[in-house]
Amino acid sequence: MKPLYTKRYEPLVSLVIFFSVLCLCVLFYGKAYSQEAGKDKAVQLLKSAEGFYDEGDMEKALSAVREAMSAMPGNAGAYDRLGYILLKKGQFDDALNAFNEALKINPNLREAKTGTGLSLLGKGDLAGAEATLTAALALNPYPSMTHYALGLVYQKMNDDAKALSQFKEGLKTFKEGKK
Amino acid sequence: MRLENMLRKRFIKPLFQTAVCIIVIIAGGLYSSGASALLQTGSPAPEFSLKDLSGKETTLAEFSGKKAVVIFFWATWSANSPKALKRFEEFHKKYAQKGIQIIAINADNQTISEEDTAKIKAVVAGAGITFPVLLDSGLKTFREYDVIALPSTIVVTEGKLSYSLPGWPLAGTEDLFDYLLTLAGETPKKKAEGGYKPKHDAIADSNLAKGFVKKGKYAMAYPLYKKAIDKDPKYMLPYVELAKLYVLEGKNQEAEETLRSALKVEPENVIVVSELGYLLVNTKRTKEALEILSKPAKEESYTPALYYYAYALAVDGRMSEATPAFEKALQMNPFDPSAYRLRGMSYEMNNMKKEAAMDYRKALEILLKIRN
Repeated sequence: MKPLYTKRYEPLVSLVIFFSVLCLCVLFYGKAYSQEAGKDKAVQLLKSAEGFYDEGDMEKALSAVREAMSAMPGNAGAYDRLGYILLKKGQFDDALNAFNEALKINPNLREAKTGTGLSLLGKGDLAGAEATLTAALALNPYPSMTHYALGLVYQKMNDDAKALSQFKEGLKTFKEGKK
Repeated sequence: MRLENMLRKRFIKPLFQTAVCIIVIIAGGLYSSGASALLQTGSPAPEFSLKDLSGKETTLAEFSGKKAVVIFFWATWSANSPKALKRFEEFHKKYAQKGIQIIAINADNQTISEEDTAKIKAVVAGAGITFPVLLDSGLKTFREYDVIALPSTIVVTEGKLSYSLPGWPLAGTEDLFDYLLTLAGETPKKKAEGGYKPKHDAIADSNLAKGFVKKGKYAMAYPLYKKAIDKDPKYMLPYVELAKLYVLEGKNQEAEETLRSALKVEPENVIVVSELGYLLVNTKRTKEALEILSKPAKEESYTPALYYYAYALAVDGRMSEATPAFEKALQMNPFDPSAYRLRGMSYEMNNMKKEAAMDYRKALEILLKIRN
């Protein structure tokens, strides 16, 4: 019986191994490349969504965020941005859902925590908003925006002294660079 | 020995060159970050791309071939804007062919609604404007040009800021048009002085210092500001920035000395006078502050002078006089967070908590770019 492997096949085996490794590399880097390209596209889209948001064009902002979400699914930042757009449109329940999704992906996303508080404020749940924002402040190293949101809650509660103190604290932390 | 020489040639020289490159890149980054945040005569004019009333995009670069570009920031709610637009239209008709391009940038609101657009169109039609009228939705350009009052005029020549006029003061306006006449090659009504151009290396040092301040590296900023002052003692900005840095670190005495030394060079400089006045209020010399601030406040060309004066009045217990002064400042620039913050402080001093909270909130909304 002839042996299965002889020296005659050595170059062929080497060639097969070489091409296999090459294919694996192409597959691996190709996937990584497409993921990277998707990430770049998503970042670009989120940036333009921010521009539209700043200009007050919520419909364009919304469509840019949705496109970013399909280019890079599971992006906490995209859910957060979506939440703020929905908040602006007055869709508080949908905004709350978007912030919840963002927090499922990244439980420490400070903007999403503040967004949750703002959504609760929009829904009229002042106690819930106060509790959420106070808890966010305890964890949040950049609290300017959270102080602002808490100030709004106290204004709604007609507690001018507390509102004043939160807005003032917000100004102070902004000056210190803690947005 | 030969080996040492070889090592030096092969490694040390390229290493040195790389280090120099890195330093240049870092310094360049610091310079540019400072330059964009700080607009003074001689600074490069920030590029913009804004839509006109028909939705067409217009950029500053489109007018790079012109002798000068006059950028006029205005708002429909500002009393002086319509008459200023008319005056620019008259000038445009006569001198557009001589290379002076007028551009009006509307800054009515953070977000320009359809209602705002209708108002803008009505004012533009009423004044018969034929030069480009652009909409600064989001106020990005307004912020990049560091506009402190509406209306405000900025003249750009060779891509750099060569003249700026906050507000629409009587004398200042005539000086501006004399300057524009000179640029158009015409004889001005009186001898027009071009905007003072600080020395380039003084600007660079000052911007570099501001970059360090932003990064919290105060110790590195001090010598650079002082160097900028040494290089160009007539350049007022480093004095002001240095004084602000001293205040930030609680060195009020040094801040005052810096501002007073600037006033020895230019006694009437409105920015220096205003900052000195504000420093005096904060060091409990309110009467002296009121005396210093009353003149620039009456001129109504520099918004901070007005709200510093208003704040001094409030600290002096004259809230009824402070209120209209704050109102005037906010009419000139409703996007200045400091005006709201100081009015908030004034209300708080008078135990008006609701009003104080509203003003602090407004200041925070401007800083955090929150649109309502």
